[in-house]
Amino acid sequence: MHDETMASGVYLPELDVIPARDTREVHRLRFHGHAGDYFRIWIVNVALSLVTLGIYSAWATVRTRRYMYSNTTLGGSPFDYLARPVPILKGRLLTVLIFAIYAFAGRIAPALQAVAVLLVAGFMPWLIVKSMMFRARYSSWRGLRFYFSDDYAGAYKWYLGVYFLMGIPFLLILLVAMMGHPGFGMLLGFAAFTGIYPWIKGHQQAWVVDNHHFGGKSFSFDDAIGNYYGVYVKAAGVALVWFLPCIALFSTAAVLINKGNPQAFNPKMPSPYFILGVYAVMAPAYLGVWTFVHTRMTNLLYNQAQLGQYRFRSTLAYWPMLGLYLTNALAVLFTIGLALPWARIRTARYRAEHLEVIGEGDLSDFVRDAFAHGEIGATATEMDSLLGIDIGL
Amino acid sequence: MVPAIYFDGRSTHATRVDAWRDGDTLRWRGADGTQEWSAPWITIEPSARVTGVPFTLHVRDGGHLQIDHDALPADWFPRHHLIERVVDRLERRWTVALAGIAVVVASLFVLFEFGLPWAADRVSAHLPRAVEQAMGKQSLDALEGRLLMPTALPAERQSHLQAVFRHFVGGMPGVPGVRLAFYGSKALGANAFALPGGTIVFTDALAEAVPDDDAFIAVMAHELGHQANHHMLRQVLRSSGVLIVASMLMGDVTSMGGVAAGIPMFLVDSHYSRGFEEDADRFAFRALASQGIDPEAFVHAMQALERAHPELKGQELRYASSHPLTDERIARAHEASLQFRAAKATADARAGR
Repeated sequence: MHDETMASGVYLPELDVIPARDTREVHRLRFHGHAGDYFRIWIVNVALSLVTLGIYSAWATVRTRRYMYSNTTLGGSPFDYLARPVPILKGRLLTVLIFAIYAFAGRIAPALQAVAVLLVAGFMPWLIVKSMMFRARYSSWRGLRFYFSDDYAGAYKWYLGVYFLMGIPFLLILLVAMMGHPGFGMLLGFAAFTGIYPWIKGHQQAWVVDNHHFGGKSFSFDDAIGNYYGVYVKAAGVALVWFLPCIALFSTAAVLINKGNPQAFNPKMPSPYFILGVYAVMAPAYLGVWTFVHTRMTNLLYNQAQLGQYRFRSTLAYWPMLGLYLTNALAVLFTIGLALPWARIRTARYRAEHLEVIGEGDLSDFVRDAFAHGEIGATATEMDSLLGIDIGL
Repeated sequence: MVPAIYFDGRSTHATRVDAWRDGDTLRWRGADGTQEWSAPWITIEPSARVTGVPFTLHVRDGGHLQIDHDALPADWFPRHHLIERVVDRLERRWTVALAGIAVVVASLFVLFEFGLPWAADRVSAHLPRAVEQAMGKQSLDALEGRLLMPTALPAERQSHLQAVFRHFVGGMPGVPGVRLAFYGSKALGANAFALPGGTIVFTDALAEAVPDDDAFIAVMAHELGHQANHHMLRQVLRSSGVLIVASMLMGDVTSMGGVAAGIPMFLVDSHYSRGFEEDADRFAFRALASQGIDPEAFVHAMQALERAHPELKGQELRYASSHPLTDERIARAHEASLQFRAAKATADARAGR
């Protein structure tokens, strides 16, 4: 959630389908950041944050984020990140307090922790709205701010309510199993799951886009739900292709290693090498599947969105993205994090290069809208970065 | 004249302008010369300097002027963003960046090595006793019936050991409300650990493995050392602290928090445990000596433990409360034993005279 690229990308207009009036006028997004500059900014700010016991971290966040936003330009004009450090600091402190209570509660009484989890789950949609409002409120382009409507009802519907529907597959499994056909039940449950999940994800994207506004216009969304079934069906295929060879490879290796080892494999206390092996094999497979879903969902998000007469075109491709993420992960791992600024910069560059705004006009026809422009607290956005809530952007 | 781009804050229309300072006023004029604007200098809010990022000069009516990073005259806003001015100067130098790496490494070390333990100990000292008891009760409830089964020790052996325990604790100040509980446990083997709130768990296998009462007391004394110093509570607070701080850092430093957070957790945990083990050992040696038992009994107990866990020979012996059996610890026990004997010899000599 701290991915600056995503943050700056979310509020941009995106296109895929040819707009009502046929046009070839394309406005490209550009990213002008340099890894060297960003590295120096980043390391100095991390060092200052640590030395000040985290107090400075709010200022650090604002500075690093401003660098990423301002180096992303559309039509020659940079985006701007306008949040103030003090509200971020307040939100961060409150979040630490809440998280500390939560972490400690589990050691005294798990029941307490369960209550906390339920409480957070109940507040989650509210948190999502607040967090989106914060990001939109403090992102601007050419002096106009983005805006996110405070649609709490919609958030509760699409980020909490619909998950109760997910109970249907499990009920089905249970019912059919009780009637004596557990295999058939599993199949039916799986089918129900496949039917519901893409539908939920599609509507969540539609909700997010529909509630964003810029320059007196609302974003609108085509919401062709069928597209999401395509993504998830293909994702299932990609998962199979990734996991089967990985598991085969790992089992072969495990058997070979265990042969020379007289001690029987103890499932209760697997050796560290076994755990390491599982991670080493599963991480690339997981990354392979996650990248696929992420890439396709991002493309769908932008390509179905529209702002005024402008559409968007996102052309992220699977293999380049996978290569990017894989090399990023390896570089960050082998430099103990020092390659992180470089990784962020090249990700931002790739993403900006594959996003276009299409529409007749020079992007100067947006006007300040009448939406309320009060200040918004940063606690929600801090909490959601800590909890790593995946809003699906 | 400074080239700039003017946005009026009411639309996304961009106007190329030239801006200049005219006494107490900022003025800017369209490139074609037809339009001119102005604003009082003190109402202008400039953005802070960041390498490669254009300046925005916010005007009170919501508009702003965008000026290239290198184009803003140095004397225009000398008193704004003083802190960020310094930070910006630091961010421009590669030497500072290299120093920054050293600072990050050093402060992480100090934070995890000293800062967190210190803070956790302060908190644990102020927590009500009820919290500690709740923690111990919860852990015992979680273990009972899963790892800990009802004891199969003969009743007379149990009552004998209980009596030895009570006698030992009775002669010792500073450990109120402790109790000894026996459990059978295949998974834990020969084992003992101190739960917060006063319960010391002793497994049947260990009760059978200890060669004599003195060795039994030595293990007991060690666990009482954990108890008296509230080690479990402090350990829990420390690892919670590590978890919280690591997540906060990861939130900003990397999104691979899940994996990475586990590493400091593990390092710190095993490390702290060792410090606590030494404390508990010292406590045990003192307690044994004060009741006239040779601390050498501790070595006997440890050797018995090692015999009961033949598969771990040569490795660090770990169990629920992590008791690495190292040569160091044995050496310290020998040393304590020597001191004890010397003191005893002196005392005997005095008594004899």
